[in-house]
Amino acid sequence: MFAVTNSVALVGVEARTVSVEAHVGGGEKGRLNVVGLPDTAVREAKDRVLAAMAVSGYRFPPRSVTVNLAPANLPKSGSAYDLPIALALLAAAGEIPAGACEVVALGELALDGSVRSTRGALGAAIVASDLGVPCLLPPGAAPEACIVPSANVQVVGSLAAAVSAALGEANFPAPPVPKPPQPDLPDMAEVRGQPLAKLALEAAAAGGHHMLMTGPPGGGKTMLAKCLPGVLPELGEKAAIEVAQVWSSAGRPRECLTRPPIRAPHHTATTAAVIGGGSGVPVPGEMSMAHRGVLFLDELGEFPPHLLDALRQPLEEGKVTIARKGISVTFPASVQLVAATNPCPCGFDGDHRQSCVCTDQAKQRYGRRLSGPLLDRFDIRVTVDRVDPDALMGPPEEPSRRVAARVSSALEAQRRRGRRNRDLGRRELDALDITDAAMRSVEGALRYGTLTGRGFDKVRRLARTLADLAGSEKVEERHALQALVLRGESQDRNEKGRRDG
Amino acid sequence: MDDRKNARRGAADIWIRLAHVGMHPDRLRGLLDKKSPAAVLRSIERGHISVPEVARLEVAVPAAERWEQLRRTGVAFLLPDDERYPERLRELPDAPPFLFQRGASFAGTAVAIVGTRACTSYGRRLAESYGQAVSRAGWSVVSGLARGIDGAAHHGSLLGPTPGVAVLGSGVDVWYPRRHKPLGERLLAAGGTVWSEAPPSARPLGWRFPPRNRIISGIAHAVVVVEAGRQGGALVTARIALEQGRDIFASPGDVGRGSSVGCNLLIRDGAFPVHEADDLVECLELAIGEPARTPDAELPESAGPDPGVPDTGVPIAEFLAGMGADPVTGIAELGRLVSQGAVVLDGGLVLARKSQ
Repeated sequence: MFAVTNSVALVGVEARTVSVEAHVGGGEKGRLNVVGLPDTAVREAKDRVLAAMAVSGYRFPPRSVTVNLAPANLPKSGSAYDLPIALALLAAAGEIPAGACEVVALGELALDGSVRSTRGALGAAIVASDLGVPCLLPPGAAPEACIVPSANVQVVGSLAAAVSAALGEANFPAPPVPKPPQPDLPDMAEVRGQPLAKLALEAAAAGGHHMLMTGPPGGGKTMLAKCLPGVLPELGEKAAIEVAQVWSSAGRPRECLTRPPIRAPHHTATTAAVIGGGSGVPVPGEMSMAHRGVLFLDELGEFPPHLLDALRQPLEEGKVTIARKGISVTFPASVQLVAATNPCPCGFDGDHRQSCVCTDQAKQRYGRRLSGPLLDRFDIRVTVDRVDPDALMGPPEEPSRRVAARVSSALEAQRRRGRRNRDLGRRELDALDITDAAMRSVEGALRYGTLTGRGFDKVRRLARTLADLAGSEKVEERHALQALVLRGESQDRNEKGRRDG
Repeated sequence: MDDRKNARRGAADIWIRLAHVGMHPDRLRGLLDKKSPAAVLRSIERGHISVPEVARLEVAVPAAERWEQLRRTGVAFLLPDDERYPERLRELPDAPPFLFQRGASFAGTAVAIVGTRACTSYGRRLAESYGQAVSRAGWSVVSGLARGIDGAAHHGSLLGPTPGVAVLGSGVDVWYPRRHKPLGERLLAAGGTVWSEAPPSARPLGWRFPPRNRIISGIAHAVVVVEAGRQGGALVTARIALEQGRDIFASPGDVGRGSSVGCNLLIRDGAFPVHEADDLVECLELAIGEPARTPDAELPESAGPDPGVPDTGVPIAEFLAGMGADPVTGIAELGRLVSQGAVVLDGGLVLARKSQ
């Protein structure tokens, strides 16, 4: 009169096993009660389950039935528990053998007994793989589970199919995932001119440096940012699962699993949409969806200041922690931040072909929106001017894959040293393997006041990356000199604002 | 002898009380055309001349107390017969009957650099480089300490050795805009002078600014207008300067660009167009003669080779293209100029460091 099967609940991106217990008790009334912190969708499961069971030809005993979702203190939400509840009920009522419950099941039941897609399939596959049991998934959700090779995924289209798959009477393996189309991202070869911006992009990819591009509209800032995933190495299996888990918990299966993601939230997005949150069980935001990839903020100056400030801590820690009543969830958010901004509201400050029509006050207001601590995160700050028409008509330039090869070897060098260049602290920078000539040029910039103490560290970090790209053990003079230019603005923008007064 | 001294002292007492009423200079001049200062003061006291209630209270303060206040706050009260009163102002038909002064006494030749408050970064850079060049050449920069061009000109002049002059529309102890307080204090610390017709602690009311412009152009030997819209204080200053017979220089801008219309129209009407800072200095030497005092010969340490960039800078991309070498080498070469202190990168531009 009792049966238990398994399903899954996502806490953040973490998949937790949920035991779905069913007990058929005494009494002649057909009463079905669901306990274990169900939300409305879960509580409504009983009506869907009863209908699906009846349509599928199963008999439901006129008894008092209790379904418990354990652990009882973990909030459960969504319609994904329909299928496991049905299996546990049928087993508890003796309609099917108890062995049918040794699965991890996920799926919403339609009234005609078919199984609909829900989120969390990847988590189910991971749990099933851990428990060593088959994983029953609805057809729409199955592809995202294929990234876990050790899971025995059964694609079940109906309650009857689920029962026979669970009993091992039939086999419904997941169809092989078709090779996903390459996402439509630009190639570096298409970016004409812009030697400085391209060097900056390559260095950003190789060292993981956050990068800020400033320039008038139409300079190609967005295109450059979109080139970045293409020069980053493909994700390894572990990283790919991490990323897929985040996307799965957001209910957004990824098409191309091995390519680093790029997310570009619009500046009208809410803080919850970018950082993560939402009512009930928190869902990951854009920042977590960009985990191990690129978070691109176009028109940085248009984002509300409180949102930009909220980015700072996750950027530092590589994760987002969202606390809610009774539950605290951590989403990974190790992103590379690429931002683009116009120099002023009209966008043409500093452009020599078109004059800026903004007043100084308007410009200062615009500049003040970017807080110093946030600007401080950017190791690279380059200006992306509009391209010379001659360059636009020139031959294609170096393709992304050639750049990607250099980036890979630079990342390999950093792996050998044990630390990504972005994360190099002052102690490590002081021990930097740098030639005397290179050090002299950095010191020169310090002496002439074009470099602050903070900029000194950034330049050394960047110089290390440029040396890695060149395959050089030592940081040589030309790397330091290039780093001085990639560092961009000689003065801190805030200081400048104060000076201009 | 004592009688003469007493009489002068008595006259000064009347003037200082009158000055603290804070009347519009034109109105005061109109009254003084008809009456003696003592009579004007009496009329105010008796209510025959209507002034705001606050001003009437100010008038009631005895002169001795005023002198004590000024002494305590380090503000000087200059009448036209004072040797500290700028000589060139005395010649004006509408010369201010009195001036409040903070800082050192002004001596030398002044060049006014004025322009719009809503300036562009192009105008700001020009004003800064003009201010610096004028100060280096040995002339004082006089301006209004306002936002925009005025402030930039003062900033630039602080990079040179010659102390500058600020003529305010507020009291000499009221900095407006407030964020220019450090700038004003640096100007004073560098031996500069701050003048105003308004009594100490007078607020920066709009009507005080147009009359103050006649003082700026009045003490200057030449007036440089850097950016000016079709309307605005800078053009008012230029018009007054013309009436005062001052030489007018204007920096040209794009035709049709709002912030340059005023300057372009001035040039059309005969103002001297100015090019870069060095050119301005040469023109000024021709127009007003070499500065009386030799400028400080000491220049900042050599800042590496001359990168040959104009005062308003070159876009980085253009600079790289001009280097000719392959781009990556070009970037390193630009880095070398930065490390040698020859240039700085700012707002997407390569700027010669001397203009900073």
